[in-house]
Amino acid sequence: MGGSGRDVLREAIGGQRRDVVFGSLLGAGHQAGEALVPVLIGVAVDQGVAKGDVGALLRWLAVLAVVYVGLSFGFRFGARAGERAAEQAAHELRLRIVARVTHPGGGAEAGRLPGALATIATEDAKRVGAVAMAVLSGVSAAIGLLVGAVVLLTTSVTLGLIVLLGTPVLLWLGHLLSKPLERRSEAQQERAAHASGVAADLVAGLRVLKGIGAEAAAVARYRRTSRDSLTATMGAARAEATQNGMVLALTGCFIALVALVGGRLAAQGDISLGQLISAVGLALFLLGPLEVFSWVNAELAQGRASAARIAQVLSTPVAVAGGGVPLPRPVRGEMRLRGVGHGGLRDVDLTAAPGEVLGVAATDPADAAALLRCLSRQADPDTGTVELDGVPLTDLDPAELRTAVLVAEHDADLFEGTLRDNVAAAAPADADLAPAMAASGADEVARTLAGGVDAEVSEGGRSLSGGQRQRVALARALAADRAVLVVHDPTTAVDAVTEARIADGIRAFRRGRTTILVTTSPALLSATDRVVLIDAGRVADSAPHADLVARHPAYRATVLA
Amino acid sequence: MTRELLPTATPARTRAAVLELLRPQRGLAFAGFAVMVGATAVGLLTQPLLGHIVDLVADGRAAEAVTTPVVLLVAVAVVQGAATVVGMSLISRLGETALARLRERFVERALRLPLEQVEKAGSGDLTARVTGDVSKVTEAVRTAMPELARSTLAIMLTLVALAVLDWRFALAALLAVPVQAHTARWYVRNAVPLYAEQRVANGAQHQQLLDTIGGAATVRSFRLEAAHAAQVTRRSRAAVDLTMRGVRLVLRFYSRLHLAEYTGLAAILVVGLLLVRDGSVSIGTATAAALYFHSLFTPINSALVLLDDAQSAGASLARLVGVADRPERDEPAARGATTRDALPDGVAEHRAEPVPRPAHAGAPGEVVVSVRGLGHAYEPGRPVLADVDLELRAGERVALVGPSGAGKTTLAKLIAGMHEPTAGTVRVDAAAPHGVGSAVALVTQEVHVFAGSLADDLRLAAPEAGDDDLRDALDRVDALAWVEALPDGLATVVGDGGHRLTAAQVQQLALARLVLAGPPVAVLDEATAEAGSAGARVLEKATERAIEGRTALIVAHRLTQATTADRVVVMDGGRIVESGSHDELRAAGGRYAALWEAWSDSREGAR
Repeated sequence: MGGSGRDVLREAIGGQRRDVVFGSLLGAGHQAGEALVPVLIGVAVDQGVAKGDVGALLRWLAVLAVVYVGLSFGFRFGARAGERAAEQAAHELRLRIVARVTHPGGGAEAGRLPGALATIATEDAKRVGAVAMAVLSGVSAAIGLLVGAVVLLTTSVTLGLIVLLGTPVLLWLGHLLSKPLERRSEAQQERAAHASGVAADLVAGLRVLKGIGAEAAAVARYRRTSRDSLTATMGAARAEATQNGMVLALTGCFIALVALVGGRLAAQGDISLGQLISAVGLALFLLGPLEVFSWVNAELAQGRASAARIAQVLSTPVAVAGGGVPLPRPVRGEMRLRGVGHGGLRDVDLTAAPGEVLGVAATDPADAAALLRCLSRQADPDTGTVELDGVPLTDLDPAELRTAVLVAEHDADLFEGTLRDNVAAAAPADADLAPAMAASGADEVARTLAGGVDAEVSEGGRSLSGGQRQRVALARALAADRAVLVVHDPTTAVDAVTEARIADGIRAFRRGRTTILVTTSPALLSATDRVVLIDAGRVADSAPHADLVARHPAYRATVLA
Repeated sequence: MTRELLPTATPARTRAAVLELLRPQRGLAFAGFAVMVGATAVGLLTQPLLGHIVDLVADGRAAEAVTTPVVLLVAVAVVQGAATVVGMSLISRLGETALARLRERFVERALRLPLEQVEKAGSGDLTARVTGDVSKVTEAVRTAMPELARSTLAIMLTLVALAVLDWRFALAALLAVPVQAHTARWYVRNAVPLYAEQRVANGAQHQQLLDTIGGAATVRSFRLEAAHAAQVTRRSRAAVDLTMRGVRLVLRFYSRLHLAEYTGLAAILVVGLLLVRDGSVSIGTATAAALYFHSLFTPINSALVLLDDAQSAGASLARLVGVADRPERDEPAARGATTRDALPDGVAEHRAEPVPRPAHAGAPGEVVVSVRGLGHAYEPGRPVLADVDLELRAGERVALVGPSGAGKTTLAKLIAGMHEPTAGTVRVDAAAPHGVGSAVALVTQEVHVFAGSLADDLRLAAPEAGDDDLRDALDRVDALAWVEALPDGLATVVGDGGHRLTAAQVQQLALARLVLAGPPVAVLDEATAEAGSAGARVLEKATERAIEGRTALIVAHRLTQATTADRVVVMDGGRIVESGSHDELRAAGGRYAALWEAWSDSREGAR
């Protein structure tokens, strides 16, 4: 997968080869037509208007009409092919990025914020796709330039050379003049963008601001940022105006030069009146394709940068690799850790027997998190092994492993859709969801919502309260009906009475199947068969909850705060 | 919850608001406009000068004769360039200043919007306005507006110039106008709904990507990869299809513009021939006319294309003005005493009764907050709170206990003034510290670290606080040690893109802000629930110290918070069902006793 940014770019555009080639041909036709328009204006003035020849004028107008039909057609269908290629390439990249992020081996989202990844999948994919359009435009512009050059050189070699050499020099001069201005303005734009970031940040923290009555202070802070940004943008705007004005003046001087040389040639009778008009028109026209080149350059640079970012995501090594051993069927559900060291964990040995409800209480939440990472194979332990029914997890394909072992994290996300959709997400088709909903207390959630089980869950579940969200997530985990279920702190935002009910519910629902509860909640731990206490990264004790409470002070301190 | 988007201004109101924003700079606007007219007019001398050269050649004059018009061409170029620099600078200063004023007013009003209204609109609405709409309007002011102004000027003055050459040329050029006008109207009619659809589809696609990518770990755990891939494909496909529909529309638009170009050009050439033949204009003038028209292609096309940007910027502007136009609300909580109440028909009303009082109001035992007959419903017909009476006395610590969904959070929000009650009153008899802000502060589970230095974050609560004040506040919530251990101490950049803080640290920061804000009354809602047990104990201690000397209402999740409270208030089903001290309620054998038993049972290890 992946490779370098160059590969990503080549594959993305190469995949749309047909549209790009087809579009380039049509686009070339369009540019050639545009080049011919000023030429034909010159000819029509020369042959028709100057001589008062109506027939000749009408003939040339007919030719102009044909050229217009051609250039219009070429533009319309050429650009359509180009845009199609761009969109299609972006779409395919988007799917590849999502496939990589959700790849069972994981690893792609490490160190990247979801928002940043989503932006890569939208904006960067779009910029890479846009390279298809840039390539097409570049090819078309080159053809347009070629046609203009041929016409000019056949008119007059002197005039042709002046225009052909002068236009690039002109653009280069404009570029040179704007370079320092551009650099300055970029830095200023950045400062300007900061203001919008501050505003968004303040709005995101609106509840906090209101909670402590800090609206006025926030408004004052934003006003300062906005004023700073205004000063910066004014500088940038002045720079841009200067650049615009200079380019305008340079272009005017260039036209004057062409008029001087062309006028003298025409006065000496070396070229016709029509050719003089064509030359002036072409000199103006040629600025177009040349500007396209600098635009294409900018697009390519952006496309390359975006492709590099995409390549980085696509080529992130997987966090856990798959093994070739098939999952032993049926799964008995014995989870065993042998000498596991990972994060703060040191030499942890523990076994959940098939069908056991095992509690794991860690004095340090970081140890619990490390344990969960190993059980869910988000990471492999640094030392030791984790085994399912005697097979090391590293020998199993992570995707297949997850059909047997489900680790329900305490911060699991809900997805857009109805409450029912969320609970049923991983459940076997046609499964009865009612028992799972009842066991997790999610039935109560459904009763309090206006739409019941059909209520929409929006914004990643933020339309629900913390306690509601946890219960729905737990119902989903139970309904998934895996041979081994590991649940992490499922009730931190649920009240004590409901929590006790859920503890019994989990126990009854999971009867006969291995269940590991990683938590410090006494209500949940008292519903387990046995509790393993992890203190300072090591297994400190293992016994039923009541016994641990009675004999282990560290356990009491952790659980009975 | 039914969505009720934030207000959007009418087109008339939006226009008026723009004029209001520009009014203070009438002089600048006039000068900018005048200079740009001058620059464009000077630029239009180019074609007649070229035409003059054509005439010189046609008359068979010597080659040296072309020197004068060429020198004039150079002069025109230089003057036009210089005038453009000045004109564009003036215009962008005008635009940027007006823009800054607009966004400042918008943010000011947005931050003062009642929370209820923001929540009803969905958190995305305001965020979309403050990011998407502001940047769209900014983009328009920065690029589309000057370009549109330049193009429009060029078109109008070119038509004038054509008429100066000969009025019949202008007439010929106008032949293209019906085609262009019709095309533009046709385009806008089709494009507006299409772009609205596109925005929705792009939003849905982005939301789906955030959903899938943000929940990647969950997707993997539950083996939902295929389902999510299918959803992403569907949403992305929908967005692509709509984009292509837009592309086809734009391209048809260009095709029609090509037709208009041809019509006008042919007409000018024919008119040129007729006028040259009857001797009313020279060949050079006819050439100038043709060149004028040819040079119109670019400004006409860009003006018509910019219509599109102008359209969508206009929609964004209306959404900004809609919020910026809200009347500035009194901040009733800033007054001496406040009453939030509701008329019997459910219409909320503010009534402020200025009672001068010292900042830390209330002798011990005096009633500071009194709640009478309070009721609330987020949606009509689904009350979550009914007939609540409650009094908080100065310095009292009251724990609010009850099962999830009992209405604890709603009551807390109403007392803190976050929402307007639909029935009953909340009366706060205490002054805000320093006479600004609120007498009641609310710290909830929903935390946010503001981007910027840690000191700036804290100073939102007390803008005048010195570094020592900040340190004192941090020390009070046991956060000073870790703050000083940060790479840059108080100056460490935190929040989005900055140093990442742990959940417990973020919560401590929230408590430090509470200390700095120094309100006489503090409402804490499940502030320690999700920090994990070990962290929870640290936070409990920090909370204790943060509310020292204040009247406090604590929504207690852990019953330990109830045992240390002066009074426990038990809620169920939106009503207060019990009230008394921990020991009294335990002895009473009611709802609280049952809760306590369930909670302590599990702690004693009994099954």
